[in-house]
Amino acid sequence: MESKAGTTETRSNITASDGDQVAALESLQFTDEFHRLILAPPSDNATSLTALLELPASRALELLHSPASAKLIAASASSFEALKGNFLFPSNTTLIDQAARSSVFAGGVNNTNNKSNAPETTSNNATLNLEKAVKSEPAETESCQPLVSDPAVEKRNFKRKDREKKAKGSTKKSKTAANDSSDGPEKLPYVHVRARRGEATDSHSLAERARREKINARMKLLQELVPGCNKISGTALVLDEIINHVQSLQNQVEFLSMRLAAVNPRTDFNLNSIFTTESGSLPDSNFPSMVMPLIWPEVQVNGNKQQHQQQWQFDALQQPVWGREVCNNYITPENSLLSYDSSANSVAEVELFSSNGQWTTNKQRCMQIKLKMEL
Amino acid sequence: MMNTPQQVKNPSTSLKSRFITRFLGALTKINAEDPISSPSPTRIFQRYRRIKVASNKSMAYSVRSRRIWSRAMLSRFRSRRSAFSGRRSSVKTTNCTTINVTINENKTAKGGLDMQTDELRELVPGGEAMDVCNLLDETAHYIKCLTTQVQVMRKIVDFCHLSK
Repeated sequence: MESKAGTTETRSNITASDGDQVAALESLQFTDEFHRLILAPPSDNATSLTALLELPASRALELLHSPASAKLIAASASSFEALKGNFLFPSNTTLIDQAARSSVFAGGVNNTNNKSNAPETTSNNATLNLEKAVKSEPAETESCQPLVSDPAVEKRNFKRKDREKKAKGSTKKSKTAANDSSDGPEKLPYVHVRARRGEATDSHSLAERARREKINARMKLLQELVPGCNKISGTALVLDEIINHVQSLQNQVEFLSMRLAAVNPRTDFNLNSIFTTESGSLPDSNFPSMVMPLIWPEVQVNGNKQQHQQQWQFDALQQPVWGREVCNNYITPENSLLSYDSSANSVAEVELFSSNGQWTTNKQRCMQIKLKMEL
Repeated sequence: MMNTPQQVKNPSTSLKSRFITRFLGALTKINAEDPISSPSPTRIFQRYRRIKVASNKSMAYSVRSRRIWSRAMLSRFRSRRSAFSGRRSSVKTTNCTTINVTINENKTAKGGLDMQTDELRELVPGGEAMDVCNLLDETAHYIKCLTTQVQVMRKIVDFCHLSK
């Protein structure tokens, strides 16, 4: 039979220990629910309930991995034919709601409010499915409400297990349950989080998990923003990279403002001209930042102008006019700036610049220079 | 959420253009005040500081109050302006020293993400009062704005050199 095959498949997927624990859990919860079910409506379902209790595990396992809920209910309903006896069939939706409410539908949220809200919608979905099953099997017009409540409960239970066992369909099902239920006006107040296997499902860890996922999503965005971060794995290193990048950007702002201060500025900043040059020089703009720290040591150490020109001609592809003029102009303000340093405390600082091109260390030395300039 | 180009809705009102207008206005103002020709290091240093403040301020104003970091930066400017004379140099040096100190503490430890987040908090203005989630958001936007700032400033410098 289809159900039996399903159970064997599902059993192979689940380890024995987990299955036993879950089965024990399920059976415990089933007993509670069905006791309450018994108390509410005055019908003689005791025998049927205890009969049902005998197969919580297999039922749950089967229901766990069956894709379509309608098919599932049909299958479960069909398998329950064997246990028919004096089953009544659930034309009574109020009873199902009661069963829903009384069920231990944790779903990661332990509040009773949520319990009352969530199962309502799911029970609505369950009722829809069950009504389909009802129509498909008109012979069982008098089956028990536990029959229906059992698949309903089991559906909810296996939904809970889905949360525990990382079945992707479960969150979609619960979501669609919330969306499709025409009778449920209230929205589900909790966040749908995909629970992974073996992880706890209490509210704290779920909230933490949601928070962690948000943080990881943002880290991914940051990785895209910061160049060279994609290959790095591990949040600590990525954060290091990000910190370095922010520091380097702040340093660049400082250096550029220093250059702006040193450059003899033109009083008329023609916006239009800047915008036109802007469009052309966009691809070039990133290259100078790398070249710049290399230029500075070479200015003092070599005084070799040809190298600058070569470097600049690399990036001045689109605007070859820039090549030589820029070099010469770059040299003079830097020369003037650094010569003041040399007058204050001479060669030491400049040599420090020539050591490496890393921004962080340059930043320290620049700070020293600035402080000395202040004095 | 970070990918929605909220600043690039309209090219004429993009963050970049707003920043450019403001910053150029500030630059002209600074150049008008200062005698340009004096090459003394102190004057240049003063100009550098003023330009840096102007650049950060222009960027913060371009972002308005949409971001926590811009709000923090603006409030910092306003408080600095209110206690202008006595605190200017001290604020500068404290900034320098904190950055110098934190560079050396960049080592990772087990569960040492706290160290990085603390560093990030110091780098991003207004970061002390943010939780990690918002901090990462603000960092991303801050990086974006900083890159724009750097781009624009570099273009201005190149333009000045070109037209020299």
